[in-house]
Amino acid sequence: MVAHPRCPCTRASIGELARIMARAKGKLSAVVLFVRPESVDCSWNETDLWRSARQIPGVTTVVDAGGVAAKKLGAETSGHVLLFAPDGRLLFNGGITESRGHAGGNLGENTILSLVTGETVQRNQTPVFGCALANPERAGQRPKCAR
Amino acid sequence: MKTATGHEFSNPRADELFQYHRQQIFVRTDRLFARLMIVQWVAGIAAALFIAPRTWSGQASHVHMHVWGAIFIGAAISAFPLWMIRTAPGAAVTRHVIAVAQMLMSALLIDLTGGRIETHFHVFGSLVILSFYRDWKVLIPATVVVGLDHFLRGVYWPYSVYGVLTASPWRSIEHAGWVVFEDVFLVISCLRSVREMRSIANRTAALEAAEQNSRQIFEDAPIGMAVVGLDERFQRTNAAFRDMLGYSEEELTGRTPLDITYADDLEISRQLAEQMLHGTARSSIEKRYVSKAGQVLWATRSGCVIRDGSGNPQHFLIMVEDISDRRAAEEALRQSKHELESALKANQLIMDNSLDVICTLDAEGRFVTVNAACMSLWSYMPEELIGRASIELVHPDDRARTEEAAHNIRLSGHLTDFVNRCIRKDGAIVDVLWAATWSEADQTHFCVAHDVTERARIEKALREAKEEADRANHAKIEFLSRMSHELRTPLNAILGFGQLLERQSPNAMQRTRVGHIISAGRHLLDLINEVLDISRIEAGRLQLSLEPVPVADTMTEVVDLMRPLAAERATKLSTGAMPDKSTHVMADRQKFKQVLLNLLTNAVKYTPSGGSVTISAERRADGHVRVIVSDTGPGIAPDKIARLFTPFERLGAERSTVEGTGLGLALSQRLMHAMKGTIGVDTAPDCGSRFWVELPCAQSPLDQITSSRNGDHAALSNDTRTILYVEDNLSNLTLIEQLLADQPQTTLITAMQGRMALDLARQHKPDLILLDLHLPDLPGWDVLAELQKHDATRHTPVVIISADATSRQIKRLLEAGAHAYLTKPIDVPEFFRVIDNVAGSHGVATNGATPNPIPVLT
Repeated sequence: MVAHPRCPCTRASIGELARIMARAKGKLSAVVLFVRPESVDCSWNETDLWRSARQIPGVTTVVDAGGVAAKKLGAETSGHVLLFAPDGRLLFNGGITESRGHAGGNLGENTILSLVTGETVQRNQTPVFGCALANPERAGQRPKCAR
Repeated sequence: MKTATGHEFSNPRADELFQYHRQQIFVRTDRLFARLMIVQWVAGIAAALFIAPRTWSGQASHVHMHVWGAIFIGAAISAFPLWMIRTAPGAAVTRHVIAVAQMLMSALLIDLTGGRIETHFHVFGSLVILSFYRDWKVLIPATVVVGLDHFLRGVYWPYSVYGVLTASPWRSIEHAGWVVFEDVFLVISCLRSVREMRSIANRTAALEAAEQNSRQIFEDAPIGMAVVGLDERFQRTNAAFRDMLGYSEEELTGRTPLDITYADDLEISRQLAEQMLHGTARSSIEKRYVSKAGQVLWATRSGCVIRDGSGNPQHFLIMVEDISDRRAAEEALRQSKHELESALKANQLIMDNSLDVICTLDAEGRFVTVNAACMSLWSYMPEELIGRASIELVHPDDRARTEEAAHNIRLSGHLTDFVNRCIRKDGAIVDVLWAATWSEADQTHFCVAHDVTERARIEKALREAKEEADRANHAKIEFLSRMSHELRTPLNAILGFGQLLERQSPNAMQRTRVGHIISAGRHLLDLINEVLDISRIEAGRLQLSLEPVPVADTMTEVVDLMRPLAAERATKLSTGAMPDKSTHVMADRQKFKQVLLNLLTNAVKYTPSGGSVTISAERRADGHVRVIVSDTGPGIAPDKIARLFTPFERLGAERSTVEGTGLGLALSQRLMHAMKGTIGVDTAPDCGSRFWVELPCAQSPLDQITSSRNGDHAALSNDTRTILYVEDNLSNLTLIEQLLADQPQTTLITAMQGRMALDLARQHKPDLILLDLHLPDLPGWDVLAELQKHDATRHTPVVIISADATSRQIKRLLEAGAHAYLTKPIDVPEFFRVIDNVAGSHGVATNGATPNPIPVLT
């Protein structure tokens, strides 16, 4: 998951990630990339969101200074989840909340859990709800916590 | 009843209560929403801040638009309904605006939470709270707003309402279905709630009416009622109670019934209160209260304890009825009964002991009851008479008038002084005096019969004795009159020859003897004259000529007459206070003078030499003039005053040297009474005497003249005429002279004696003769008769002027030929009218026409 450490909507995504991790029962390992702009100090990303993510079993938090990794993954919105198979194939690409900051069952979560259990899914893309990540290309645009 | 809105209410008050409570609910719910709006607005802002206070784009962040939305849109939604709540609380438009706003607030919150399903429950909650209005109609705009919001946003912004990017139409239908589903229940709830409210309003109104009715019954009860607490203090009293005792509600509050209870009744009142508290359901006694004014009232006091559902006493209810009048009536009845019993006993005693027969007869005259006296009256035992017709006892000759009297008693109701003859059992006849009363209600005669046989005999004897006495008295008067006449004849010789002897130069001894003869003769003459006067008065033959008499002139005249006697006895005679010349009394001039002379003569005779006698007069406030004769004589003892005016009573003077007949004062008294005057004396031994007479004032003839000059007198005719006035009284002559003084065409000739009048009439042939009846030589009617006899005077009209106003006298003179009759005192206008009429008619008659009839004027 790529996350903005201060996006309020991503709190629901972190919550859903925790549910997915719990339901996957060790079949998944997850990394949350907290994008940190380059001009800020290191403590900028140490938010409650960041602390919540660290407490989820099986989740590793990584600071993505300058959003380099996010950019490589093509993630633009906080809460963007990408699921990769052990062989490196991209299985899922999208958000895991029903709507902005909306916790609860949703298509992205169901899709990931189905993929984990080996089931066939009809869709592997869902909308992502969250704030914009530090994207140099959108630096002049009005930030918003939305899709 | 049915109201204008078509709802059923038991009375207008129920509708009023319903509307009031409903309005209260509207207002309260408006206020609830006012608070809710603010809370929602704040909560929305808080939620927005909590969920997404800022939005980030990398390192840059801004306040999240939802925060602004929560602030401004929430404020916009809440502001208008809040204003409406403030300005029009309870109005229908207010709650409809609130309904719309509340649904918009739901939409906002749903949007703020990203269409979370939880916030959709805000809609349901809002609908429930809107149902607090208990007005199902308010759900309509709310439901419409919710439906439109879900429909439009579901189509165009499903994310904002459902939190998804695409939403199925069924989702909106599902949401709308839930809303409608809830609406159904809420509408049912509202309708039931309103129905319950109506029912409560009806019950409340009925309760109010019942309570009002109870209060009204309590307050308007005709007997006194009071609610007394368990602390024995008054809680409430009604008007009758307060009026009865004179206290106000405030004055009674805080007092106890014992405070206004009569001292003697305190103990029993306490006992009854205790008994009621400990089980006796109710009690009633007659006791006395003391009103505020201190009056003791008898009253029936009934009381009971009012208990709650558990049987615990709450308070006392006492009812007090004023029975003072009833008590007084009972006392009066008791007294009346006692008196009646006493009266019955007395009646029984009277009946048992009465010497008169007391009996009752039925309508047919049969004896119903009769007392024992019937035995002595009729010799019958009572049982022999009961049921027997009373008419059977009546003498046959008296039965007809007795039956007539019995008939009359039915008409008049009573009968008195009816005497008839009854036949005793032994055949004897008794005169019975009856008094009876007829009672129509009882159809009974109540009779008292008294034996008057003896009384009738006595009355007959008395009647005969009186007739005999009257005859004897008449004979006495006749005798005195004849004797007086017979005595005058020899006296004429005695006095005449005695005086002749006195003129023939007798020697001293002869002069003394002749003096005795003359003195004794004059004394005898006085005695005869006074006896004659008294006899005349008592026989009713005294003739008076009442006219205005000048008091001062009369007093002067009698004093002048008395001066020689006073000088002879060396007694000082003087006049005291004198009335003015215009003061007149209504009297017979000669008789008035005679009375004053009597009083002065007595005063001079009984006052020792050197003493003084004074005559004075004063006008009294009651319209009388009092003439007083005072002397310095020995006075009269009080025990003799009562006999002072008795004929021939000289009070011991007969043993003195003072001569007298004892008739002077008796005659004076009778003369004063005849002139409607009074006579009296104030005297004491050794303090002299003050004899006085009083006569009513009369108008002065001169005053009459003055008043007449402005009257009919001005209308007198201008024809010349001669009037002859025959009158022996100088005052009357002067009066007529004054009256005619203003008539130059009238020549007045006067005569003071009858014979002179006849001569003057023949000589002057006057047009009118005014004739007095009391003349010194001839009575007036003889003068009239003489005038009628002669041709020269036969047609001369004569008008009688006399103080004698009896109809018999008037008729007699008019029949004798008088043209008119005027009475003294003269009514001046009437006088002129009469002489004008009579003189005028005479003038016509002398020309050969028949004189007009002249009215009789009295």
